Amino acid sequence: MIDITGLAEHLRRVTVEVTDAGELLGSGVLWPPGCVVTNAHVVRRPQVTLRLIDGRSLEGHLVARDADADLALLSVPGTGIPAATLAGPDEVRIGSFVVAVGHPLGVRGALTAGIVCAIGPIVPGGRSWIQADLRLAPGNSGGPLADAGGYLVGLNARAAGPLALAVPTGQLTRFVRAAGV
Amino acid sequence: MDGLLSLSNDLATAVERASRSVFGVSGRARLGSTGVHWRPGLVVTADHTVHVDEEVTVTRPDGRALTATVAGRDPTIDIAVLKVDAPDVPMAEVANSDAVRVGHIVLALGAGPRASWGVVSSVGGEVLHLDLTLYPGFSGGPLVDAQGRVVGINTSGTSRHWQLAIPAAAVNRAVDELVRRGRIPRAYLGVSTQPVRVPEALRQRLNLDQQTAVIVVEVQPGSPAAAAGLSIGDVLVSLGATRITDPTDLKAMLRPDRVGESITASVLRGGEPRDLQVTVGERPRRTK
Repeated sequence: MIDITGLAEHLRRVTVEVTDAGELLGSGVLWPPGCVVTNAHVVRRPQVTLRLIDGRSLEGHLVARDADADLALLSVPGTGIPAATLAGPDEVRIGSFVVAVGHPLGVRGALTAGIVCAIGPIVPGGRSWIQADLRLAPGNSGGPLADAGGYLVGLNARAAGPLALAVPTGQLTRFVRAAGV
Repeated sequence: MDGLLSLSNDLATAVERASRSVFGVSGRARLGSTGVHWRPGLVVTADHTVHVDEEVTVTRPDGRALTATVAGRDPTIDIAVLKVDAPDVPMAEVANSDAVRVGHIVLALGAGPRASWGVVSSVGGEVLHLDLTLYPGFSGGPLVDAQGRVVGINTSGTSRHWQLAIPAAAVNRAVDELVRRGRIPRAYLGVSTQPVRVPEALRQRLNLDQQTAVIVVEVQPGSPAAAAGLSIGDVLVSLGATRITDPTDLKAMLRPDRVGESITASVLRGGEPRDLQVTVGERPRRTK
């Protein structure tokens, strides 16, 4: 029998709510250790509140922000929660099973499931995405797209109709490295 | 999570396997579509995505482009067959679509490759209803089972509300006709019918085991039915070995390959059985 509940539980632990003055801005992933990575369009101020799975609210300080890559890095020490683990870039296969966890439309820790539809730009010459046949809604932004083993394959950034677009992990590592973390 | 991992691997392997015989088809101005190497030198796609009548550019799985010619097409079933010279591109492994059941996990592939997944919602006679997304350009592409075998051709062209696939068995029949004639003839008799109950007394007297049949309410002049001597009021009980219990039976029986066939029409006329020989005709094509 196939069970997704364990996978959901695992991913909820590494998924945070990004809020500002009580307003939900989006999701974020505890990665790398001591940090949260999310979309640049989720974080518009140097300081936000991060709500963890266990209900704690911690301050997140902006370390780096790249509007073109749509990525932001926040420092949040002392969560005590192990960070997410990245899947290898070559481990993402078209057709493989993926899940997204986030807070779409304010629904905490919601899970949606699908498969990898394609890897690459959606318009010729555009930037590369992990394209997933999976439903996203506002609030999913910055949350994890993970494979069947719970490894992070991308950061959900936006939806193109029924298609989910996630920033590939290669871009995440480059961004974090450039930030000096 | 082992079951999930193996499902995930199976799906990815199915995509990999099936996409080896998937072509891109540039048969219309803006949006390309997808085709499947169905038989040696023949690529099947969705008719509504091919707006030209002669030459079409297709893209092999390895990205190389070549020119194909339209071998035949039918807008009703929404299938077009393209002649392609690509002997080194493997043919699709086509499965028996009669084994497809409601609830089966299936994948839709587009050229690229791209993939979406979902389940079979319902299985009709000539069509599979799907709960999945056919992304732009997926029309004409393969519907693939979890083993990577092709069970149908996807099309979003014939319905706004449903994602559909033409089952492989129906695609095979269509390809046969399209290769032979370039089009699919519509078999017809030239009658309009209504379902009718066969009176119990008549059933017993004639030893009929069917409760219903169809009554002829119109005979088109000059039609095969008129030539066979069928008239209004005749109750059609069977055609050849096929029992006709309602107009759907009649429609299902009149497949394209029946055109030209001479069959016995068993009718009740004035309460008496009578056999008429009728030659199935081809419905005249509408002229514009």
